[in-house]
Amino acid sequence: MRRKPGWQERKNYKWIYLFLLPTVIIFLMFYMVPIIQVFVTSFTSWDGFNSPKFNGLNNYINLFKGDAFLISLKNLLAWGLIAMTLHVGFGTLVAFILYNKPVGWRFTRAVFMVPNVISAAAWAMIYRFIFNNDFGVLNRIIRFFNPDFNVSWFYSSPWAFWSITLTWLFYAVIVTLVVLGDLMNIPQEWIEAAKIDGAEGWKLVKYIQLPLCRNAIGTSVICSLTARITMYEQISLTTAGGPGDDTMSLSILLVNNLMDYRYGRANAIGVIMFIIGLIVLAVINKAFRMNESDY
Amino acid sequence: MRIVKKTLTRIMMYVAMIFVIVISVFPILWVVMSSFKTNAEILGSPLALPSSFSLETYIYLFQTYNFPIYFANSLLASVVSTGISLFVFSMSAYVIAKYKFPGRMLLYMLFTITLLVPGHSRTQPIFTLVMQLGLYDNIWGLTLVYLSAGMAMSMFLLKAGFMAVPKALDEAALIDGASFISIFGRINLPLTKGALTTAGILMFLGNWNEYYFASLLTSSDTSRTLPIALSFFTSEFSYNYTRMFAALAIVIIPGILLYAVAQEQVQASVAATGIKE
Repeated sequence: MRRKPGWQERKNYKWIYLFLLPTVIIFLMFYMVPIIQVFVTSFTSWDGFNSPKFNGLNNYINLFKGDAFLISLKNLLAWGLIAMTLHVGFGTLVAFILYNKPVGWRFTRAVFMVPNVISAAAWAMIYRFIFNNDFGVLNRIIRFFNPDFNVSWFYSSPWAFWSITLTWLFYAVIVTLVVLGDLMNIPQEWIEAAKIDGAEGWKLVKYIQLPLCRNAIGTSVICSLTARITMYEQISLTTAGGPGDDTMSLSILLVNNLMDYRYGRANAIGVIMFIIGLIVLAVINKAFRMNESDY
Repeated sequence: MRIVKKTLTRIMMYVAMIFVIVISVFPILWVVMSSFKTNAEILGSPLALPSSFSLETYIYLFQTYNFPIYFANSLLASVVSTGISLFVFSMSAYVIAKYKFPGRMLLYMLFTITLLVPGHSRTQPIFTLVMQLGLYDNIWGLTLVYLSAGMAMSMFLLKAGFMAVPKALDEAALIDGASFISIFGRINLPLTKGALTTAGILMFLGNWNEYYFASLLTSSDTSRTLPIALSFFTSEFSYNYTRMFAALAIVIIPGILLYAVAQEQVQASVAATGIKE
């Protein structure tokens, strides 16, 4: 039975809705209306000047017919798998190491955050320089062993794909911090009890600690996959999708279509990004049984 | 055997930690170091220390380009939008946390589900909106767009923050004749400082570093933010590596300084968002 709001509460309604109003306006302006507009116009041909003309599923069909889009999906799949396994795995590993509080763990944790507080644009640029064939550090070191070495990492296939991967692969500080938070929240008595039952080292990690961190790991997987869906700077400022369409991504393709005044098709890509995002969330939530609490 | 295994684990742990430190710090040190070298030094010995230190390049960049303007633009867009949205979001998080009213759960769900919408999928409508408002290539247009950033994250953090303020305090204030606004402003806001700082820092960093919308919504030199200015330098300085590195250093250093000051808070913020979800 729902309790009826009392007089005192109803008197507050005026204030309550007034307090909500600004957020509602922002929500409508930047989320609700744009999302509806994206969905509706994704079924039209629209250049932004003339009014949109309904063309059914043409935008979607054209997308699936084009190589760039298929390569974007393939790249997203590959990057997504790498993010879920290696990226989250590395972040989790570092969390487990820091959990043991070795000498310098605070410093390591603090420093690991630095690449995340500077803009992704600047970071992409730094990597473009590190991988530069003329003055980059990487080739310099390789030439130390093999003086005739010459590769322009971001401009040649298949290296461009892997070079972009390296700009984010090991920078998993968010995973580390979130997992570390969960690890530290495990009651000490549980760990002690498990130890008394003979769980030690790897067994303790596998049967007690990892399962109890699954919320944090699940969150990390969702965050890192979402970041792959929207990854933009790391590509736009290094390869811009090239060589050919090798490193094309949905967000690059979306912007390219926008700049060519193909708003309908750009929005079809937006819809696809949105749907992929929802699928990721639903699947990961289920896989990690994230809504169940252990405490 | 046991001791060998233990030592090996220890060694592997430190190897991993050193790897983390190197990949995080080295690229930045390398950029700063290279900004003091001559072109020839950069090309000839990328790993060596510069032969002399002089601030000439930095002075040149500040005199020739509008760095103070880029900096001011970045600061304006991120501080104003963070300030306004922090205030706006805290008002709605407050009533959602403390009061019962029709539509409460629906609104909370709608506000937080925004987390799942890839920002880039809303590109065209936002682009068109800013155009129609006549705010294209205007720093205020960008500020407006940034208002919507971090909505879901702030809702999580601020709602939890307000829920932690004891209801008894509100009731006591009410008996003393305090108004709705003063219960919010005088009692609840000061007691939610932690959550407010956390949400504020995260939003500020996000906006300060934002590149995607900034690159789409600005075009002229005087409305550029720091990250955007950077992308123009690469074409401008394509063969003057010293200047390129110095420009890069100018863009990344403010963020690092801010982090150095608020280090603990930033880390706590990141960990908190993961837990609160």
